Amino acid sequence: MPGDVGAGSGGDVQTGGVQKAALAEIDASCRVPVLFFFLSGLGWLIAGSLLAIVASIKLHSPGFLGAWEWLGFANVRTAHLNTVIYGFASQVSVGVSLWLMCRLCRIPLPAPGLVTVANLFYNLGVTVGVVGILRGDSTAIEWLEMPRYATPILFVSYALIAVWTIVTFRLRAERHLYVSQWYLLAAVLWFPWLYGTAQVMLLLEPVRGVVQAAVNWWFAHNVLGLWFTPIGLASIYYFIPKVIGRPIHSYYLSVLGFWSLALFYNWNGMHHLVGGPLPAWMITISIVASVMMLIPVITVAINHHFTMLGHFGKMRQSPTLRFIVFGAVSYTLASLQGVASALRSVSEVTHFTHHTIAHAHLGMYAFFTMVMFGAMYYILPRITQREWPSNGLISLHFWGVALGIVLYVVPMSLMGFLQGTKLNDPTIRFLDVVQFTLPWLKLRTVAGLLLVVGHVAFVGNVAWLLVRMFEPYRKPVVRILTGEAETLAAGK
Amino acid sequence: MPVISFILLGSVVLLPAVALWALRWATAAGQFRCPDKAALLPFDESEPVGVETDLILGGNRR
Repeated sequence: MPGDVGAGSGGDVQTGGVQKAALAEIDASCRVPVLFFFLSGLGWLIAGSLLAIVASIKLHSPGFLGAWEWLGFANVRTAHLNTVIYGFASQVSVGVSLWLMCRLCRIPLPAPGLVTVANLFYNLGVTVGVVGILRGDSTAIEWLEMPRYATPILFVSYALIAVWTIVTFRLRAERHLYVSQWYLLAAVLWFPWLYGTAQVMLLLEPVRGVVQAAVNWWFAHNVLGLWFTPIGLASIYYFIPKVIGRPIHSYYLSVLGFWSLALFYNWNGMHHLVGGPLPAWMITISIVASVMMLIPVITVAINHHFTMLGHFGKMRQSPTLRFIVFGAVSYTLASLQGVASALRSVSEVTHFTHHTIAHAHLGMYAFFTMVMFGAMYYILPRITQREWPSNGLISLHFWGVALGIVLYVVPMSLMGFLQGTKLNDPTIRFLDVVQFTLPWLKLRTVAGLLLVVGHVAFVGNVAWLLVRMFEPYRKPVVRILTGEAETLAAGK
Repeated sequence: MPVISFILLGSVVLLPAVALWALRWATAAGQFRCPDKAALLPFDESEPVGVETDLILGGNRR
């Protein structure tokens, strides 16, 4: 009930006939499935990072690993995209979503074994898909490259996970919804709709001609905006208040942000086809909707900024806050860059250049991945009941990925703009434009290596944390696990 | 009717209908009635407002 807000979580409050669970009980119920989602996601992150490095080197040194045809640029670049999107980002998203949903619904995760089995099948689907891509079975449809024989496994296992998220929501003890739950519920429903529709319209009963491009960009753009973005924003809306101990600045603004995202984002994809042979009205509507995205973006930015006001110094002490705030700021920047890129005058220059790649990484990495790292820093100690073993590795992780992504996005955005200007100049030979990009592409490889350093530091810290799980329990120097840790220690 | 018709019909009719239903349900259930209290939902008795929960690096450790 709305009036119950702030009531105890110690198992003494009845709401809607369901007893609210203690936070430690909720965390314990999520331990196996969420850990499994995180670990398999991180495994795919390392694989995807290595593939990215190979692809990046091949852009300026095409003969690199040239003896292995299955490691050709087309295969490696496509395998990189699919491992990080479906292997890493989607799995970590589901892990964070399940934990958040249980925390906000105030119930333990029902039947965690079922979700774990679904996750096993999901990983099987990703493995089959990535191996298929490296074998040369790619469908060659952007963001849907996994071969047809892999997608049913992915779809069914994902559907099971989505249904279970909704079941968890239905069983909730807290009747009132927090804004994060709006975002999470929408995301778990939007993704199967996007994925299913695109699969049918592009692979099972393919539409003809330019409609294929329209459907493709509708899908590819909305995966970012209606799957990853809502989960990223749900996490920001939960973790900033939790870490600094202060409610969000304006709940009204947060709800306005959600509904305006739901209304406008779906129309945006067609702005990728400016100049293409589509009806002008389709592209114009998409550009208008892209500009309308300023409403949710600005409301979210104002809300996060005013919530954090006076607390920015805590980023030095909280790894979660450090990553989440970096991600939140990047969300604003990525969205503003996206709005600008949607305009015809800008798109005429930046389309078909590395500017688009920079924009994709600003959204998918600087915003979403950084938020997911922050969420994992908060969740993992709580579900394992162990502290992070190394503060040094946390710092190495943050500075590696923060510097890496800045060194990636800023030069690539600038280079893409210059590249587009040169491409539009008929007096400049195409080969000269290609040669102009080479130093920038080498810089991109350096940036990618910094990201890999950060990823290895994080995975090392997580592995160390897991090793500690199997050590005899020692009462910790209480840092993160304040109340619950002491209670458990006393009970042993 | 081809599969694609079902998809287009679903996208054009069903999804806006679901969105409208969700909005109506939320309004009827009072989800938008107490925004100040809704903002407190991440907190509870064990971790109430005012308690910082993740300050582990350097400075004043909690």
